[in-house]
Amino acid sequence: MLHIPFGKLSSNCSKVSRRDALTVGATGLFGGLSLPGLLNMQANAATEKSAKAKSCIFIMLEGGPSHIDMWDLKPDAPDEIRGPFHPISTNVPGTQIGNIMPYCSKIADKYTIMRSHSHGDNAHQTGRHWVMTGYAPNFPDGQAKGIPFNEIYPSLGSIISKELGHRGAVPPYIEVPEPLGPGGPGYFGAQYAPFTIETDPVEPTFEVRDLNIAKGVNSGRFERRKRLLQGADLLGAGGKSDGKAATMQTYYEKALELVTSPQAKKAFKIQDEKEAVRERYGMTSIGQCSLLARRLVEAGSRFIGISHGSWDTHVDNFTGHEKALVPPTDQAFSALIEDLEQRGMLDETLVVMMGEMGRTPRINKDAGRDHWSACQAVIFAGGGTKPGTVIGASDKTASYPTTTPYGIQDLLHTILSLMGVNPGKVYETPLGRPVPLVNGGSMISELIA
Amino acid sequence: MLRQPSNAPQNNLWLYAFAACFVWSFTSHALGQSTPIVFPNEVSLTGPESSQQFVVNQRLENGRTSDLTRVVEYSVSDTAIATVNSHGMLVPLQEGETQLLIRHGQWSQQIPIKIQGIESPTPVDFRGDIQPILTKAACNSGGCHGKAEGQNGFKLSVFAFDDTFDHDSITRHGRGRRINIAAPESSLLIRKATGLIPHGGGRKVSVNGLWYKQLTRWIKEGAAFDSESSQRTTRLDVYPKLMEVKPDSGLQLQVFAVDENGNRRCVTREAEFFSNAEAVARPDEDGWVHVDNVPGEAAILVRYRGQIETARIRLPQEFEVTPPKSNNEIDDHVWTRLSSLGIQPSHVADDAVFLRRVYLDTIGTLPTIEESRRFLTDPSADKRSTLIATLLERPEYADYWAMKWADILRVDREIIKSPGTIAMTRWLRSQLAANRPYDEFVSDIVTAQGNTNSESAAAMYLVHNDPEKLARSVSQVFLGVRIECAQCHQHPFERWGQEDYFAFAGFFSGVKNKKLPAAGTKIYDDAGADLKHPRTGESVPFAGLGSPAVQPPDSESPLQVSRRQALSEWIKDKDNPFLAPMIVNRLWAHYFGRGLVDPVDDIRETNPASNEPLMEYLTGYLKSNQFDLKKLTALMLNSTTYQLSSITNDSNIQDGQNFSHASWRSLPAEVLLDAISQVTGVPEDFNGWPSGYRAIEIWDNRMPNYFFRVFGKPQRVSVCECERGSEPSIAQALHLMNAPESIAKIRHRQGTARLLANSQSTDDEIIESLYLACFSRFPNADEMQLMRTAFSDPGVERKEAVEDIVWALLNSREFVFNH
Repeated sequence: MLHIPFGKLSSNCSKVSRRDALTVGATGLFGGLSLPGLLNMQANAATEKSAKAKSCIFIMLEGGPSHIDMWDLKPDAPDEIRGPFHPISTNVPGTQIGNIMPYCSKIADKYTIMRSHSHGDNAHQTGRHWVMTGYAPNFPDGQAKGIPFNEIYPSLGSIISKELGHRGAVPPYIEVPEPLGPGGPGYFGAQYAPFTIETDPVEPTFEVRDLNIAKGVNSGRFERRKRLLQGADLLGAGGKSDGKAATMQTYYEKALELVTSPQAKKAFKIQDEKEAVRERYGMTSIGQCSLLARRLVEAGSRFIGISHGSWDTHVDNFTGHEKALVPPTDQAFSALIEDLEQRGMLDETLVVMMGEMGRTPRINKDAGRDHWSACQAVIFAGGGTKPGTVIGASDKTASYPTTTPYGIQDLLHTILSLMGVNPGKVYETPLGRPVPLVNGGSMISELIA
Repeated sequence: MLRQPSNAPQNNLWLYAFAACFVWSFTSHALGQSTPIVFPNEVSLTGPESSQQFVVNQRLENGRTSDLTRVVEYSVSDTAIATVNSHGMLVPLQEGETQLLIRHGQWSQQIPIKIQGIESPTPVDFRGDIQPILTKAACNSGGCHGKAEGQNGFKLSVFAFDDTFDHDSITRHGRGRRINIAAPESSLLIRKATGLIPHGGGRKVSVNGLWYKQLTRWIKEGAAFDSESSQRTTRLDVYPKLMEVKPDSGLQLQVFAVDENGNRRCVTREAEFFSNAEAVARPDEDGWVHVDNVPGEAAILVRYRGQIETARIRLPQEFEVTPPKSNNEIDDHVWTRLSSLGIQPSHVADDAVFLRRVYLDTIGTLPTIEESRRFLTDPSADKRSTLIATLLERPEYADYWAMKWADILRVDREIIKSPGTIAMTRWLRSQLAANRPYDEFVSDIVTAQGNTNSESAAAMYLVHNDPEKLARSVSQVFLGVRIECAQCHQHPFERWGQEDYFAFAGFFSGVKNKKLPAAGTKIYDDAGADLKHPRTGESVPFAGLGSPAVQPPDSESPLQVSRRQALSEWIKDKDNPFLAPMIVNRLWAHYFGRGLVDPVDDIRETNPASNEPLMEYLTGYLKSNQFDLKKLTALMLNSTTYQLSSITNDSNIQDGQNFSHASWRSLPAEVLLDAISQVTGVPEDFNGWPSGYRAIEIWDNRMPNYFFRVFGKPQRVSVCECERGSEPSIAQALHLMNAPESIAKIRHRQGTARLLANSQSTDDEIIESLYLACFSRFPNADEMQLMRTAFSDPGVERKEAVEDIVWALLNSREFVFNH
């Protein structure tokens, strides 16, 4: 790389956070930084402090939930569009949602429904890539056509992990119960990759990969192992290591902290939670993942990505939604919001629930609904968002927004801003091309409290 | 040419690049080495926004140079005519003549100053005057308005490559609201740039500064595109071109733009500066280069109006270097370099360190206990070179390098399916095993045809499936040229433009494919057609980079060979300047942890090798040995340079680019996994694969595997070697410590630990075996003593003690890294 190694901040196009101002001050690496630029940064450094959201829980309903059956019902639409569900009133006068979501109907004053999210990608992998990174998977580099994973662009979680860093013993970016396809670190590199919990907290035997000392190794034996390891490092070549090996040493220390810290262990130990609380979230995957997410936020994690599938209801959409998909989600989401609020954490925790797309208003021959990205619903709560409202609207068949559509870049821009991350911050890709964290987009002001 | 002072030493490092216009006033004065030298010694500025950056240097006794530009005092005798700041930047105020007085202690010098063109100035022109401002203020950078879609509705061409477009964008687009000729100060352009109204990019231009004055004057004069008097800049003169400096200092660069008529003007204020080694030297926007105490050499790239020039800054240390014995010419070149920089190389690594390193680097495999024991106890003097020769013939050499090439060429099962992936991997393996001459290997790849399921490189054409992608990949992988930058704009640090890009892509316009009825796809060629330049719409005749068109546009005769054959001929031409340096650099980077040019595949004049004579020598060696890669590899591995220790001394601890010591390198994911399997004696069970396969043999880049993921095995989405992750992470540490898979291997009933515990071996023998298995060396007395405690803890079982030692060694840095 010519002047600054890739993945490092190269220049800034708009606001820069306090962290960057510090970086600049410390290293003076900026070729083109003028004094006015620096002053500008210092002036803006206040934004991070004033950011409300400290953590984000991102619930990804993989496959694409049916917006028209859940959040944006059209009772007056013809049969082939309307479906069997009907709207019910919520505790917010004038706001109605689907009758299959009784829990959420009682707490509509605590979240906001956006009915005008829209983008143009109708495929799962690529759509998910859009949502998680803000970049089209058909990269302008021409490097990754058709490959839906984000080896190039960092995902929302990795961005937040890099920009905000640790806030406790637990990793800043955690995925549960499986990797979000394009949730990777892209050009930020492995140190900003998610820590993926590849087991489901609903399982009675739930434990976190690599977090537990091997069975049969009691604390005395683990102490012996540590002693041998420290000695081996000290007496061997490792004692004189530098560069990456020295970096690895600091990660070993972090890892040991994580393995032995009671705080971290406790956060993951969902079994310690009162039975009533677990039941309130629901003994389902999404229920227990949401509960675990709350525990992880308490322990200081910055971004928890919950992956929940499979919402791809091409066949028998209605049974799928009514029986398998919506009830656990309705229960889990409402429990999470209530719980966060009761614990005084909702203001500092941004919760976002969405899929990579919506579903076709027109019902297909298999009583299913197909892929529809032109109109979707996204649910926001906490973290400085304005509760109890509906923003945006769709046409009479929920096919297209009738208000200004909000694109994925607007969403990401807003999420990052709420967390005190400057969405315009520019990094260089491995080929030296400067790209902003979010390419355009603007603040969704009606969403902000 | 300027004369150098008569008392200058022979290897004088001052390369005065200036011609003609200025005459050095050295003449007869032998004022000694301490006389400051001012440049230029006469100044004539034209126009209100012109400026002159002065440079004041002083030669030191030891032949180095001290920059006094920011130390001396400046004053102008008639302060109404010009003003100068403490950094030696002079700007005009009104027409007339005056003197600049420069003073340093007892010494002083007067410089005549002439100012003209203030009262009726030459009109500002967009191309020559405004574009450099927009560039240096980063308005047109790729992160801001230079983005493909612009920023907030205002778009400029990135790096100002399209003057007409940019002029239109400012003066016409946006309904012409960006400029206001009647009231220039209230133009949107000015108000945004100065931050008077909210601007996402902040304040880029300060009110009443020089840029502000020039921008407003330009608008006031009618926002012209071109003025009659404007001349194109044809080259830059940068001064000094090469300078040796002392630690914790700095120096001022001075840049002149030279036009078609040989006129020169100072553009230091307008030019941009970049360093290829920030640790050694970092320029700021004024062209002042900060130097800390990291010895080495940095190339400072200077850019102005598409012209590029470099200056070199060298920081040697005061150190008497006594290099180790030289094994071959590589060492001669490296020692020469290190001696000139005052960097003492580390000592030569002992046999054990060499053994482990050369196994891991060459065959991606750890030596076994027996192999280590045999080598370490072998008394023969030439055992290192014998080992190197043996390793290059091992089957794992081909496995390991086939994996590496499959990564770079993007042999992706997702796209080319399993049969194609297997076929191409096999082909790569056979080429590497047979040590196919590299130029022929590349030629076969760029001309591959036929069924993608047959053993050849044809499958690659399913991944790189259009002429432009092929051009980008081939140029980056084999030529070290990132031509893709030139797809949309002039390469920012190179001579390549869109013309070159589409000419090169034209080599691949005949590549076609056809699904075969049974299986696979057939890759074949038709005549193809030249590609069109996206801006002019004209066909660009296909051509190699920097070479004339293969078929001149007026040629009537049809091409005798396919376009790709023509490419192969161009690549194999003995004068091709790209092919050999790229592979030399790739091999060097593999074995030494960093390329002579860094990044490994970004070779260009403006990013010079850290040891150019060495690069030249190796390139020549490869060419005169028929592109024999094993021979080149053996040369590298037999050098003392390769065999140096990673333990640093005071003089080389900071050196990261001159190969004065070995570096700590992450093991590739596959190599580390194989090493763990080998040490524990339990092979990895790959999902769905028959047992016994080693990780470096796995052709399926999409096979889900947690270990691969956390340790950064590339997914093959990029031809850049940088896709392979090498950064440590907390997940890696956790996985090495606690992964159930590794724990199971350590405990396995047929595993190494259990076998040793159940054997008749003494505790000491077990410890020795494990050190040989993990570190390829015998334990020393202290280590022996420490590890014995594993057995002697109260109540510990022998089996547990052995497992604990294995666990500790597998988690130690000496195991996890190559050093």
